[in-house]
Amino acid sequence: MSTAVPSSERGWRRPLAALRRKAMGGPLALVGVAVALFAVLAWAGPAQAGPPVHWTVPVSTKPADIQAGNVLFNEHCSACHGVGAVGASAPSLLNVGPAAVDFFVATGRMPLNSPKAQPMRNKPYFSPKQIAEIVAYVNALDVAHGTPGPGIPNVVAACKTQSAECPTLSEGNQLFLLNCAQCHDASGSGGMLSQGYVIPSLRDATATQVAEAIRVGPRPMPNFGPGQLTDQQVMAVADYVTWLSHRPDRGGLGIAHFGPVPEGFVAIIFGLGILLVISRLIGNRG
Amino acid sequence: MSTVEERSASRKRAQRQGQALDFVDDRLGSSKWIRSALDKIFPDHWSFMVGEVAMYCFVLLLATGIYLALFYSPSSAVVTYHGSYAPLDGQKMTQAYESVINLSFNVRFGLLMRQAHHWAANIFLAAIAFHMCRVFFTGAFRRPREANWIIGITLLLISMLEGFSGYSLPDDLLSGSGLRVVYSIVQSIPFVGPWLAFNVWGGPFPGSSAFLQRLFVIHEFLFPLLLAGLLGAHLAVLWHQKHTDFAGPGKTEKNIVGSRLWPQYAIKSQALLMFVAMVVFGLGGLVQINPIWIYGPFEAARSSAGTQPDWYVGWLDGALRLWPHWEFRSFGHEIANPFFPGILLPGIVFTVIYAWPWIDKRVFSDYGEHNLLDRPRDKPLRTALGVAALIFFIDTTLASATDLIGNGLQVSFELLIEILQYGSFVGPVIGGVVAYRTCILLQRTGAHPVQRPVGGIIVRDAHGAYHTLGAEHDGHEGNGHGGPEEVVLGAQAHREA
Repeated sequence: MSTAVPSSERGWRRPLAALRRKAMGGPLALVGVAVALFAVLAWAGPAQAGPPVHWTVPVSTKPADIQAGNVLFNEHCSACHGVGAVGASAPSLLNVGPAAVDFFVATGRMPLNSPKAQPMRNKPYFSPKQIAEIVAYVNALDVAHGTPGPGIPNVVAACKTQSAECPTLSEGNQLFLLNCAQCHDASGSGGMLSQGYVIPSLRDATATQVAEAIRVGPRPMPNFGPGQLTDQQVMAVADYVTWLSHRPDRGGLGIAHFGPVPEGFVAIIFGLGILLVISRLIGNRG
Repeated sequence: MSTVEERSASRKRAQRQGQALDFVDDRLGSSKWIRSALDKIFPDHWSFMVGEVAMYCFVLLLATGIYLALFYSPSSAVVTYHGSYAPLDGQKMTQAYESVINLSFNVRFGLLMRQAHHWAANIFLAAIAFHMCRVFFTGAFRRPREANWIIGITLLLISMLEGFSGYSLPDDLLSGSGLRVVYSIVQSIPFVGPWLAFNVWGGPFPGSSAFLQRLFVIHEFLFPLLLAGLLGAHLAVLWHQKHTDFAGPGKTEKNIVGSRLWPQYAIKSQALLMFVAMVVFGLGGLVQINPIWIYGPFEAARSSAGTQPDWYVGWLDGALRLWPHWEFRSFGHEIANPFFPGILLPGIVFTVIYAWPWIDKRVFSDYGEHNLLDRPRDKPLRTALGVAALIFFIDTTLASATDLIGNGLQVSFELLIEILQYGSFVGPVIGGVVAYRTCILLQRTGAHPVQRPVGGIIVRDAHGAYHTLGAEHDGHEGNGHGGPEEVVLGAQAHREA
């Protein structure tokens, strides 16, 4: 396509082409008008009809849900977080917001057996309905306290509209490599921090959970506020991480996605190992 | 026992072979040499074939490397990617990185060749390491083979550098991070370091556009030519000196027992080539290695957890992690920390390895010629030192994976580092002592180190009583290794030899 431009430019200068231009002038003008019209419509269309993007999921404010959440909270959370989430042996939850509650409970990190242990991904203890109720309860407390934290990011909806806000994989890739790969590994397999903190793999994280973690910053991970990553950029990262976790492994079986160490292990054990066995079979003893 | 038909067939075969040799002789006048060469005897022990595994890996590396070079571009010009891999779409990258991405996704057989090349390199170094251990533990480096030991160690050294330069060519995040470490190590050399690094890279890190070009020339021409030349010399010396062999029935310092080059050994060796190709291309096609598209193009601001070198450089990376944070400053000059684990340690290691044949002579006061090999148990001290060195290398290699081990075992990083720091001293000592005692025990019992002992050596003591050495034998039958008589005879023959 790019070669078409210079060749037609060259054509303008030739008299024969000029003649052809005269003959083709009418149809070309028609096509030009059509394209311009289409462009205007295409530009105007979505701008009027496109739904506004909601970056967060609304949290239930129904008294029944809040009441149910209160019961669950008192049974399972208040021992450490205190009655009314004011904090005890574990931090207060009066300013954490729905994203934090949803993240910790939906990934099975909470309830935690020992307040000193690092919360790790686990099978969720509560059902999705119960999680929503706990979120509703803590959200109600936060709102009443006047410090509502970040809401649950609405990742899937933003991308399904395929609007201009829909992030590209490339954008997510760049943001991920710049902000996340230092700890989570470029392939999202996780790693190790000092003081015994394990950096989790991102393989099982949903897009929502990734976005929540970015905004919340589950310790020891720092939180990335809107000043560091816009909502759209958070979506881009979440989208890329989801893609990364479900990517087709080009070139065959990805061995743990941990880079050269497992590769060396496979090369020595399976590569050289098989060849040693073969040498033994071909060769003799003594 | 052969039938008339078989005899006539073999006569025909000899005739045909003679005709072929005549053809060569008429043109090149070399059939005499070829005839004796084809009859050359090679010993048959399986462990002698591992050096060949390395050689065939090198052949495959050349073949796949030539294919890769057809598509690789050693240019650090910045381009915008608009290829088939969506997550990199529209990103700025060097032409070198783009060419490897295109090679991986858009060139027929490109990814297979690239992965096979990388697997072959990893197996190449593993085979060299095994081969070197075999030569070390059996004393095959002793007079008159010191020269070939020197050539072999040089081959190992150049192969490591060759591997690292190849790791650095794609210009992805791993390449750049690895080069960053090496740049700092080069800078840490006292007095000349900063000057050397500046000149090799053509500027401060990441260097000028000439650097990638230089790396390409080094990886593509300099090191492969050196490897090919030294490998030729290695084989020529082997050919001239003839291969060593273990002691055994009918084997002496002066003779050589085994298969002729043609046809037996050549066919065995060709089979090995096929198997090496099978493993290398099998892994290349089935198991992913170095997915550079995941790491992204190198940018100085980026880094990734789990950034490790390929396994054969792992011990140096581990040494960097284990080394205490010492810095020395005197006469207004500082010796930077990376110098000790990055330059001094490998310097000492390779000096000791190069000098080992002469150290060995002094340790064992043995200056004579040897064509028969030691068994590892015959020289417990050498075996113990070798095992200790291996454990040291395993310890430092593990140290390069502390983040992954910590993640897998959920053990604190600092604890692992501390364990491996002590381990680099304690491990070799324990390993050496265990190896020494095992050697002594094996000498006494004459048992096989791996297989369960069958029977044992029956000795008669001064009082006329009979004892069986190797007490754990479990009867005589049922395990397919023959009766006790054979073992006794074999062991006696061994000692006589």
